[in-house]
Amino acid sequence: MTGINTECSFTNELIISNQGAIMKEGELGRVYSDGEIIFKEGETGNVMYVLQSGKVKITKKTASENITLAILESGEIFGEMALFDRLPRSATATALGNTRVLHIDKKKLFSTISRDPTLVFKVIETMSQRIRRLDEELTKVKKKKIDILHLSIDVDELCNLILEEARNVIASDNGSIMLFDDNRKLLSIKAAFGAESEPKTKLTIGKGIAGDVLKTGRAELVNNVTMDPRFIPGAMNVKSVLCVPLRYKGHNFGVINMSNSSEKLFTIDHLKLLHSLATYASFAMQNARNFSNLKIATDEVIRHATMLDML
Amino acid sequence: MQEIMDANPYALEDGSHIAVIGGGPTGSFFSIFAMKMAKMIGEELNITIFEPKDFTKDGPGGCNRCGGVISELLVQTLAVEGINLPDSVVQKGINSYKLHTTNGSVSIGTPLFEKTIATVYRGVGPKGIMGKDKESFDNFLLNLAVKEGALHMPLRIDHVEYRNQKPVLFAKNKKIRDFDLVIGTFGVNSTAVKVFEGLGFGYKSPAITTAAIAEIGLDRDMISEYFGNSIHLFLLPIKDIKFAAMIPKGTYVTLCMLGKNVTAHMVNALLDHHVVKKVLPENYEINCRCLPKMNIGAPKVPFTDRIVMCGDAGSTRLFKDGLGAAYIMGKAAAKTAVFQGVSKEHFHKYYYPFYKSIIIDNYFGRFLYAMTEIYRKNKLLCKGMLNVVQKEQQNVHDRKRLSTIMWDIFTGNERYKNIFFRSLSLKMNIDLLKEFAKLSVRFY
Repeated sequence: MTGINTECSFTNELIISNQGAIMKEGELGRVYSDGEIIFKEGETGNVMYVLQSGKVKITKKTASENITLAILESGEIFGEMALFDRLPRSATATALGNTRVLHIDKKKLFSTISRDPTLVFKVIETMSQRIRRLDEELTKVKKKKIDILHLSIDVDELCNLILEEARNVIASDNGSIMLFDDNRKLLSIKAAFGAESEPKTKLTIGKGIAGDVLKTGRAELVNNVTMDPRFIPGAMNVKSVLCVPLRYKGHNFGVINMSNSSEKLFTIDHLKLLHSLATYASFAMQNARNFSNLKIATDEVIRHATMLDML
Repeated sequence: MQEIMDANPYALEDGSHIAVIGGGPTGSFFSIFAMKMAKMIGEELNITIFEPKDFTKDGPGGCNRCGGVISELLVQTLAVEGINLPDSVVQKGINSYKLHTTNGSVSIGTPLFEKTIATVYRGVGPKGIMGKDKESFDNFLLNLAVKEGALHMPLRIDHVEYRNQKPVLFAKNKKIRDFDLVIGTFGVNSTAVKVFEGLGFGYKSPAITTAAIAEIGLDRDMISEYFGNSIHLFLLPIKDIKFAAMIPKGTYVTLCMLGKNVTAHMVNALLDHHVVKKVLPENYEINCRCLPKMNIGAPKVPFTDRIVMCGDAGSTRLFKDGLGAAYIMGKAAAKTAVFQGVSKEHFHKYYYPFYKSIIIDNYFGRFLYAMTEIYRKNKLLCKGMLNVVQKEQQNVHDRKRLSTIMWDIFTGNERYKNIFFRSLSLKMNIDLLKEFAKLSVRFY
C-alpha cells in the first residue's frame, strides 16, 4: 500500500510526524510521543512492530485495573500474536517517552515467510522467551493464589475471594458462586456481582444451565444462551454464559457462573481459565468446609463436655 | 535430504572451515546467518571473510560503487531478523519517491509517510567526508558478522586450486589453508572473477552493463529543502539514458544513471535537462564520479563441490534492490551449507531454486523496463500514465493499482513477476486506455 501526492513540500532535515515528535534524518520508522497508544486491546491487528528506540508498555485490562505485562526495550518485536492467531489484540501497547517504531505489514511479512520460512526463527525465539517468562510469572501467581486460598477458612469470605479472582482474569458483566445444600437439595448463591446478585435464586439438580453443570460435572461455554433449552430467563438480559463445576473427590458441590449481558462473547480460553481457577477453588472450599465442620464438631463436643460438667 | 547426507561426506561439521571471498553485504549476510544457524544445531563454524578494502575509509578506497538504497521490504525483513539499522548507518530515512517526466511530476509515498527506506553509503562516502559521525553499511554488516564469530582478514585472494578434493586459497602467492567451503561473494568489478573462472568448473563472469554514479555535494539544508525525504526519479526523453535517480544522503546527493553505453558525458547531459535543473539548486559541485559495472546476466554454473558463487558474482536483481538480492542469496547459501551440505548436488537441490527464481524474475523485470522505455519515449503515454496516477490519488477508495505498480518498480520492493501480473489488471488498463483516448483527441 502506498499513499500518493502530486506535490512535494520539504522544509528542513527534521520531519515532524503526525504526533508532533521530531525525527532525525537518519532515523527510520515512526515516532510515538509519550503516552500515545500504538495499538489497543481488542483491536484487529494487521501489523507487527519492531521497537527501534525508546520503550513500550504492554498492559491488559481487568475488571478493576490495568495490569502491566511487560516493558519492552529497543530491538524487541511486539504485536506479533494477533498476526499469527488472527484474534483481536490481547493487550494494549503504549509509548513510554518518545518511542520510534517500525511497522511490519502482515501481508508482506507472510509473503516473505512463504518464500523463506527461516524468517520466523527470530519471531519464534521472541515468543519462546515470552512463554518462558510467562511460565515463571504464572508459577509465582499460582503459588500466591494457592497460599491465599489455603489461608481462608470462612466459606462466605472464600466465595467472595474466588469470585474476585475470577473477575480479575475474565472481564464479564455478571458472576456468581452457587453451592449445593445437601440437606435441602438446592443450589443457592453464596457470592455474586452484577445483575446476578439476586440471592433468592435457587435451583434443584439438573435445573437450568447451572443445575445441569452440577449434575454432569462438565464445564460449559454457551454463547447464544437464549437458544439453549436449559436456560431459565430472568429479569436480566443475558447473552453468553460460562459455567464450571466445583468438584472434590468426584463430588460436585457447586458451580462458578460468569455471564455477559452485552455482545462480548466468551472464548474457549476463558472457559479453560475459569476451569483451572475452579480446580484450586474446589480444594480451598473443601478445606474451609472441613475446617468449618471440624469447628462445629469441636464446639459440639465442648458444649457436651460443658453440659456433662454442669450435671 | 537424509539420503544425500548419508551418501557423501559433504556435510559441514563442528569446527568446519569456510572462506568468504568478499566482505560486502552478501558475504556478511552469509556469515551472519551461517554462524547463527550452526549455533542453533549446536555447531561452531570457523568462517574467515577475505576483504582487502577498508570500509571505514572515505573516497574510492572504501567504496563499493552502488546507489546505496535499502528497500522498504529489506529494512522490514532485516528488522524481523533482529538487524535494525542505526541512524549512524542510515544517511537519510526515505518516505517517498518523486517521479519527474517532461509532462509533470508525481510523488508516491509510504502509508502515513513512515520512513521505511534507507539511503546508505557502502563505503564512508566521497573523499573528504571523514570525521562525520556516520558508518558505512558494509562496515556495519561486516562488524555484525565478526560479532557473530567470523574472522575478517584484509587479504586479496589471488589464487584458488583443488587439493585432495578441497579448495585451497592463496594470497600473495602464499598458501593460506584448505577449506571445507569457499563462497564467492565478490562484486563484478573485482579481480576475483578471473580467479574463479580459472578453476575450470564452468564459472564465467556475469554479463554486465555500465552505470554512472556521481556524488553531488550540497549544503545539508539545501538537500532538505530541495529533496526532503524523497528519492527523485527521472524518466526523460534523453537519448541512451533509460532512467536516473537522485538519492539524498546527508551533505551529498548520489546520482545514479542507467542507459546504453553510459559515459561520463551523459551525466552532464542529464544535469543540463530543464526538468533536472528545476529539481537541483543553481550552484552545486560534483565531488566524485565513477562508471561501475552492473550484473545483468547470471553465470550458468555458479557452484561445484565446496564452492558456490553468490550475490553480484552470481545472480542478482535487475537494476534494483541488489542489497535485497544479497540478503536472499547469502541466506540461501547459508541454509544449504549448514542444514544440507556443500556438494554440487546439495547446491543444485537447495540453493539453485533461489538462484534460478531471481533469473526468471529478471525476465519479467526486463519486460517491465521495456514497457517503461515505451512510456518514457512517448509523450502521450507518459502524460496518460501521470493522469491516471493523479486520479487514483484523488479517489480515497481507489486501490491505487498503477501507483503501487510504479512504487514497486522504482523501489525494488516487490518481485518483478508479481508486479507483472498486477499490471494485467483489467480495471487499470481500461483506465489507462480511456486516458490515452482522451489525450489523443486533444493532441490531434
